[in-house]
Amino acid sequence: MACEESLRTQAYLDGELDAAQSLAIEAHLEQCEDCQALAMEHADLKAAMADATYHRAPPALRMKISDALDAETKMVPFKPARRSGFWLGAGSGAGGMAIAAAIAFLLLMPANTMVADLGEAHVRSLMGDHLIDVASSDHHTVKPWFAGHTDVSPPAEDFKADGFTMVGGRADYVHGARAAVVVYRHGAHVINLFAWADRGARLPATGSREGYRMIFWEDKDLDFAAVSDVDPAELEKFVALVKKSQARE
Amino acid sequence: MNEKRRRFEALAMPHLDAATNLARWLTRGGAEADDIVQDAMLRAFRSFEGFRGEAVRPWLLAIVRNCHRSALEQKKRHAAAPLDGDDGTEIAADDPTPEASAMERGAATRLDKAIAALPEEFREVVILRELEEMSYRDIAATTGAPIGTVMSRLARGRALLKAELTGGSHGV
Repeated sequence: MACEESLRTQAYLDGELDAAQSLAIEAHLEQCEDCQALAMEHADLKAAMADATYHRAPPALRMKISDALDAETKMVPFKPARRSGFWLGAGSGAGGMAIAAAIAFLLLMPANTMVADLGEAHVRSLMGDHLIDVASSDHHTVKPWFAGHTDVSPPAEDFKADGFTMVGGRADYVHGARAAVVVYRHGAHVINLFAWADRGARLPATGSREGYRMIFWEDKDLDFAAVSDVDPAELEKFVALVKKSQARE
Repeated sequence: MNEKRRRFEALAMPHLDAATNLARWLTRGGAEADDIVQDAMLRAFRSFEGFRGEAVRPWLLAIVRNCHRSALEQKKRHAAAPLDGDDGTEIAADDPTPEASAMERGAATRLDKAIAALPEEFREVVILRELEEMSYRDIAATTGAPIGTVMSRLARGRALLKAELTGGSHGV
């Protein structure tokens, strides 16, 4: 491996060279046996490394970090409004603050707790073995199962051809409502597609919690949320597929 | 959730898997890896206000690496037992530190063991390149080494790994 071009060959194999340098190295590779051997080893190692363990963050660690960040920001979820003068006039100090806090709570509730609820439901589903109640990639199995076990019966379609494989369904709770969850896999990632009966709560468009992303939308009388740690672009692609399938229903 | 937290959730948290992967490989599956990740995420959050525009992943992974370093140093100060050195001239599996054995005792595959056996300076570039698929520039930013050094460590690390995998019966 004494070829003085070996590092440049490696850079070429790693896709780090520009077009001009790549051409030069390709010409060099034609006649250098050392670098040809290097190229083969590079390919072998790359193939072998596909089996190396990739250590993902376990849900418990995500939660611990999220809690630590909460403590760090000293997040008081529901701050009383700052109109204390008015409320102090309206009632006794503590009582007034309590009323202000209650009103602030009601105003803040939808978006905040929705995201927190779904984040928790998603993490819960990844822990233990409660990801799937009914395992199937067949919507003729999953959809009727929902009808018997949840309040809603959302479409359950497999998008395997697009890389999103339906693996089953689950009954869950979101925001106090019984929700149907269609579970998909995308590579090593899980996507939970939640559906629950729309009760007029205002949905945020997107949210994120503990590294999981969420996209919300409504369709007819159902609220939907897709939750996953897949790439944001992939999650959007997934949601587009689901919406297209809903439009067909 | 305040604005800083929201930005952190959106920009830094997506790299939590990468942070965990690096920490576990740096510690060779040691139980302290998750503490290192948590420490790193907190430190990242505290300095997140000053963070502007650069790539998030190398920045975050550099913090993970620093946390690993300081955890090692702390241990060095507290324990008399010598730890895996930085000189990188020998295959680390020869010195049976508790960290090394954590991975070797477990159900690790031959490949995982071979990676774990690489000296740290080679192991980290191999992990960042082969598992995280990071560019030389980002690896340089993470490790604080010049790009030329990244390239030679990567070449050496790959050669060592190949030797370990083909040569075979190392300690097994």
